[in-house]
Parts: sequence; structure tokens; C-alpha cells
Amino acid sequence: MASITETIRNEVKETVYSFFADECEVDIAQINDNTSIINDLDGDSLMFLELIEIFKKKYNLDIELKVIGKYAVKHPVATIGQLIEMQLLIIEHENRLLDLEQ
Amino acid sequence: MSKEVVITGMSLITSLGLSMEENWENIVAGKSGVRYINMFDASGLTTKIAAQLPPEFEELSRKYIKKRAASQMTRVTRMCLTAAKMAVADSGIDFEKVDPTRCSVIMGVVNTGNSSVEKDTTPQNTVFKTMTNSMPAWISLEYQLMGPNFAVNTACASSAYAIAFGYDMIKNGLADIVIAGGADSIINFEEIQGFNALYAISVANDPPEQASKPFSMDRDGFVIGEGAGVIIMESKEHALARNAGIHAEISGYALTSEGYNIMAPRKDGEGMAHTIELAIKNAGIRKDEVGYINAHGTSTELNDRYETMAIKRVFGDQAYRIPVSSSKSMLGHTIGAAGAIEAIITAMSLKTGILPPTINYHQPDPDLDLDYIPNASRTAAIRVALSNSFGFGGHNATLVLKKFQD
Repeated sequence: MASITETIRNEVKETVYSFFADECEVDIAQINDNTSIINDLDGDSLMFLELIEIFKKKYNLDIELKVIGKYAVKHPVATIGQLIEMQLLIIEHENRLLDLEQ
Repeated sequence: MSKEVVITGMSLITSLGLSMEENWENIVAGKSGVRYINMFDASGLTTKIAAQLPPEFEELSRKYIKKRAASQMTRVTRMCLTAAKMAVADSGIDFEKVDPTRCSVIMGVVNTGNSSVEKDTTPQNTVFKTMTNSMPAWISLEYQLMGPNFAVNTACASSAYAIAFGYDMIKNGLADIVIAGGADSIINFEEIQGFNALYAISVANDPPEQASKPFSMDRDGFVIGEGAGVIIMESKEHALARNAGIHAEISGYALTSEGYNIMAPRKDGEGMAHTIELAIKNAGIRKDEVGYINAHGTSTELNDRYETMAIKRVFGDQAYRIPVSSSKSMLGHTIGAAGAIEAIITAMSLKTGILPPTINYHQPDPDLDLDYIPNASRTAAIRVALSNSFGFGGHNATLVLKKFQD
């Protein structure tokens, strides 16, 4: 369980923006927190999983996909900003993510 | 009431070109697309030749498919989607102006080509690259089509089957538009090794261009090719209502099973003859109307012998007056894509009045004595043509195409 510093927040945001710019072949300047992953970027749900893998390695996270799945069902992600917030919660709470529901 | 079925869009991606125009020009010129394999090190294989796509395919594919989607596709799936988008462009259809629930996609898919030649496969995209339904799925995703969407596998007859099913959907009023065809490549070390073990493919490596010689005395097996062929089928009334250009009409087909052997055709072409005979009956045409046959013509000992016997059995003395040619002499055998590619070549023959040749026909086999359009294309005003496809496992298909006349 990590506390989210400004450095981590910036790293996550930068990684997410760069990932979508590269994968979706769009100028990074066109992406903001309100950008819709599906409608604006033509992205897909698999990208969410790929980002989780990236952050799992980067921050050595102990998180099971089924935990994220259960959380995501109740907190669907549609925009870049929502995705960043979700990734930060995953980094912060890891396998205790569902405790936030209680 | 049954509807008439027409072809309003076509595209070819083969070893002889990356556009319809380039392909047709090279096919009419009787060129060969067979070369030494350079996609991987083939030095350990008995067969070292194949009809590979030009390397410019990668650049072409990038124009039609975004990087993200491309990373979830094999090279073969990219061939399929690229060809589909080119065929749609040729048809002039704007899918925003048609009912998406009345648009169907049917692709002949033997495999997706997720073999040792595929690079950059990750655990995340392995499933998508392997799914045999991925080709029609990507096409329907591209245009957000909501009619039936599926793949059919009947080996070398797969994409002919796809066209036949699409024909039925339109004829019976179940769809207004069907995108049908196929893409395939088995140019990889393991499958060539397998076909070598079956003694099914040519080992005449030098020179590569002369290896595929259907109906010729010195034929020694088929040459592996790769590519894609996609057609857009519509009901005639739907096509005319939007002032579409019409390439040809499809007037019937027959699909049969040999029930005989996993590899060899039924003796003396009995199953092939049954298929051709049934296709003519189903299409409601007279035998004397048939002006050209695009043969399966693999360049194997048995196929070419039995296909010749089948044509003679069906047409009797008339068989000697029907021009027959094998596109595989130029393009190699494109397996799951062959039925569609050859149906498109047949449609072009009807449209242009040019019959493509059987190249490398230099040593006539005394037992195979039909008019194989040897080595050079010719002009002929034909009205009806057949396209044969016969697959391993005994999957037979004959499509009947007609010249479109207003």
C-alpha cells in the first residue's frame, strides 16, 4: 500500500497520456482528462489491462485482476481522467481496493 | 420472392499486386507471382518457393488499419480487412446510409496465420490473433454492421462457400448487402514442412516462376500462395436503387461433400462432376451457355486429372470447346482465399471478355486434352462462367457467374 505522492500522480498521468497517444496514434496535446477513451480515441478495454500490467511492474503491486474487475463493475471508466484516478486507487490500495466499498 | 444477386465491389491482394487493377493487368499478361521465400529462412525446407505478397503490403495495410487494431491482428487478418475496405470503396457503399441489421459478413477462414512468422505477439493479443472468426468480426466492427457475421472453414473451398452462403442470404431476402471472401497464408516453415511430408507441393524450386504448371505433364504439386479476395454482394434491386456499378451476377452454386478421403478426390472426378452438374442445375442455365471454367487446377497429379475427367463427364463433346484455365499457375494456391480470388477473376473475365491463361503449360499431358488457354490470355465474348474449388476433406464448390446485362 503506497501513499500517492505528487511524483507518483505525475508519473501515472504521463504514462497514461503517452500510452494512449502512442497506441491510438493521436497527438498527446489532443488528450485531456475529459477525453473519452472509446468515442474520442477509438480505444478498447484491453488497454486498461495493459496499463495495469505496466503499473504492476513499475510499482511492484500486489493486485489480482478479479479485485479490479469487481471494483470496475461498480465504477466504470469512460474518460482518461477517470482511468488515471482508478490507476491511482489501484496503486494506493492494491488488493484492498474493495475495502473502499465498505 | 427470390432476389437476383450481383457483385458491386471487388478487391484482390495477391503476389501479383495490391490492387484490383494491378492484379488484373498482371494476370492478363500471364505473369507469375512465385518467388524464392524471403519471409523466413527456408533453406531447411525441400520447397523453397511460394507466391508471397509484395513487401509494400505492410505500407498499404497501415493506410487502412490503425496501429492499435493492427497489433491485435495477424498479417493474414490485416490482408482480409484491407481487402474488405478496398472492396467496400469499390462498391461505393456508404454504410451510414443503409440498414446495418441487413448487412452481413461471411469470410472463408482456414486459419488466421498465427504461426512462427508472426512477430510481436503478446499474451494479451494471442487470443485475438488466433480466433478464426476475427476476420469477419473486424470487418463488422469497422462498419458497425449488425447482420449475421461468421467464418466458414472448408479448406481450399472456404471462401467459395462464403460466397455461396452470402448468395443465399440475399436471394432469400435475409440481407441486402453481404461482404464475402477470404484471406490466407500458409507460408511458414511448419506448414510447408507438413505439405512436403504429404508430397502435395511442388519441389521444382528453379526457376520459381515455372513451378506451378497445372494440367501440364511435368506438374509436381501445388505452389503455396497467399492473399485475399473480397466481394460485395447485393440484391440487384438494392444495387440499382443506389446506381451502383455492377461487375457481374451470381446465378447459383453447388456445395457438396465427397465422403471419400481426407486428401484425395473421389476416383475419376466423380465428386467434382456431381458438383459441377448440380451447380448448373441449381443456377438454371443450359450447359451450352457455359463459356469459361476457372478451374481449381492445383498442378497436382490427381486434381488436374480428375477435374479434367469431371468436366468431360459433365459436358461431353462440348468440354473440348470450353476454355478452362487455372489462376493458380500464376498466383499459387492461396488455400482459404482461393475460392474468392478465383471467383473475382471469373467475374473480371465476364466483365472484360478476357480469359486469363494457364501459364507454364509447355508439356501437354496426353490424358488431359481440354483447351487450357495455354500461356496467353485471349478474348472471348462469354455470358456464363464457372469457378471450381475443391478442398482437402472433400469439400467441393462450384459457383456460377453471369455477365451483367441491364
